[in-house]
Amino acid sequence: MIRLLNRQGVSVFAVVSAMLFCCNSTQASSTSEWTAPDQEAAKEFAALPVELIVNIKDESPYERSLRLLDQGLSIKDMPSHYFLLDSPIIKKQEDRYGPVRFMHAKHARLVRDCAVCHHYRPEDPAVKEINRCSACHQDAFDPRVVDRTGLKAAYHLQCMECHREMAKGPLSCTGCHDKKIPDHVKLIKLVDKPEPSQVTEECLRCHENQGRDMLKTAHWLWRGPSTHTVGRSKEIEIGKGTIAFNNY
Amino acid sequence: MKLNRRNFFKLAGVAGAGALATGAKTAEAWESKAPKDPFGCLVDLSRCVGCRKCEQGCNEVNKLLPPERPFVDMLLLNEKRRPDANSYTVVNRYFTGKSDEQDHLLPTYVKIQCMHCQDPACVSACLVGALTKKESGAVHYDVSKCIGCRYCMVACPFEIPAYEYFDPLTPRVRKCTFCFERIEKEGGVPACAAICPVEAITFGKRSSLLDQARTRMKKDPARYIDHIYGEHEVGGTSWLYLSDVEFNKVDFQDLPSEPIPKLPETIQHSLFSYLWSPIALFGVLSVVMANAKSKKNKEDES
Repeated sequence: MIRLLNRQGVSVFAVVSAMLFCCNSTQASSTSEWTAPDQEAAKEFAALPVELIVNIKDESPYERSLRLLDQGLSIKDMPSHYFLLDSPIIKKQEDRYGPVRFMHAKHARLVRDCAVCHHYRPEDPAVKEINRCSACHQDAFDPRVVDRTGLKAAYHLQCMECHREMAKGPLSCTGCHDKKIPDHVKLIKLVDKPEPSQVTEECLRCHENQGRDMLKTAHWLWRGPSTHTVGRSKEIEIGKGTIAFNNY
Repeated sequence: MKLNRRNFFKLAGVAGAGALATGAKTAEAWESKAPKDPFGCLVDLSRCVGCRKCEQGCNEVNKLLPPERPFVDMLLLNEKRRPDANSYTVVNRYFTGKSDEQDHLLPTYVKIQCMHCQDPACVSACLVGALTKKESGAVHYDVSKCIGCRYCMVACPFEIPAYEYFDPLTPRVRKCTFCFERIEKEGGVPACAAICPVEAITFGKRSSLLDQARTRMKKDPARYIDHIYGEHEVGGTSWLYLSDVEFNKVDFQDLPSEPIPKLPETIQHSLFSYLWSPIALFGVLSVVMANAKSKKNKEDES
């Protein structure tokens, strides 16, 4: 009986795995690459339209901290650990850098005081205590809310000022932002069935400096296997530095 | 009338009194031609991080030549630069002695460009009306009228207009345009203000910007010095500056609050109103000539 079950089990396993394999292969052919579910969620959240909160409650940072403590709000109430700062509000005006990946939980654990960033609350008591940045900071120079920075400036002022004060965290553009790489399909101009050297030439059309750097790297100067490699000390040396191919 | 010494002085006295009277009248009559509700920009030096993105945005929007060194090259900040024919705005770095808790010197970055004066000296100096102050606040340059006299460059108290000396045939005067085509559209913002990552440049109506500047000073009095540069300088400018260091430490000039064109225009207008001065001059000359002629006749007779 057990043996039978076993045998059946094996055959069932085989069928299921075969089916799974089929499913997988069909999925792989339909979607090009795997995406992280939390990244997708963050992307969706970033794209959500937000209504502007015009009036805010006028209170000092200290008062606000105390009030948050009284309400028992702390970093445990954090709805999300990770955000992608990729608001359409900013992209409408300027779109030069890729989005910023913001580790909300990590920052919250370091700062331990929500009021440092969530520095004001809406005047309307019915609205929840803590809101996302873009609820108050949206377009720059909005006449409805003079004296309030736009979203882009709010991010930069808040992040950079704190990073500088704490002497921690990036201060340069690409420290936080992805570089925005233009679509090279449109940039590259090649003849049909190009020679390898033509491809290299096309790359060098823009990346001249990188080309020059490349000539100083081990990839270019490599002279075959190291003489210290056991069993290979007597090998014929084939390397870019000696017998080079595609050395346009 | 026989013109003797006494009569001559009488005549001269009358003419002079007339001149004074008309002069006084027109002096009172000098009126600012400043637009009532212009746009402006408020530059907050305490916010600027010296990224030079404004230079880049300006260059792209105004289709200027690509720079010799890329905009990410911060070594350029080691030297003081001025706006030139190919850059309408530049950022300079100053060390004024301000420092942080670790005694590291803190830089102050200053963006310079045309201030778009309310009563611009360049507009007053322009012989042919190539420069005009628009209702939007922009001081606009019309290349089709320009004759290349460069009086504007001499007149400007901020030494802003630059000239394309490299172009022998069709040189132009170059200066910040206040992106007038952009700001005259609904919701339009100058390129530099749009690209600034920290809103060191706030764009809006000048009156609103002055209010905002005062609010910022009131909210954070320890941060700012009590001076809005451009509020009164040369009769007011469309571009305003707020700073955390003394303005003269970062190469801002002490300028009078009178508009630059007021004095020269008053003199000129009072001299030439109703063409009285040429008339008086020729009158006096004719009297002198008549006198000389009669004297000569007398000499001939005797």
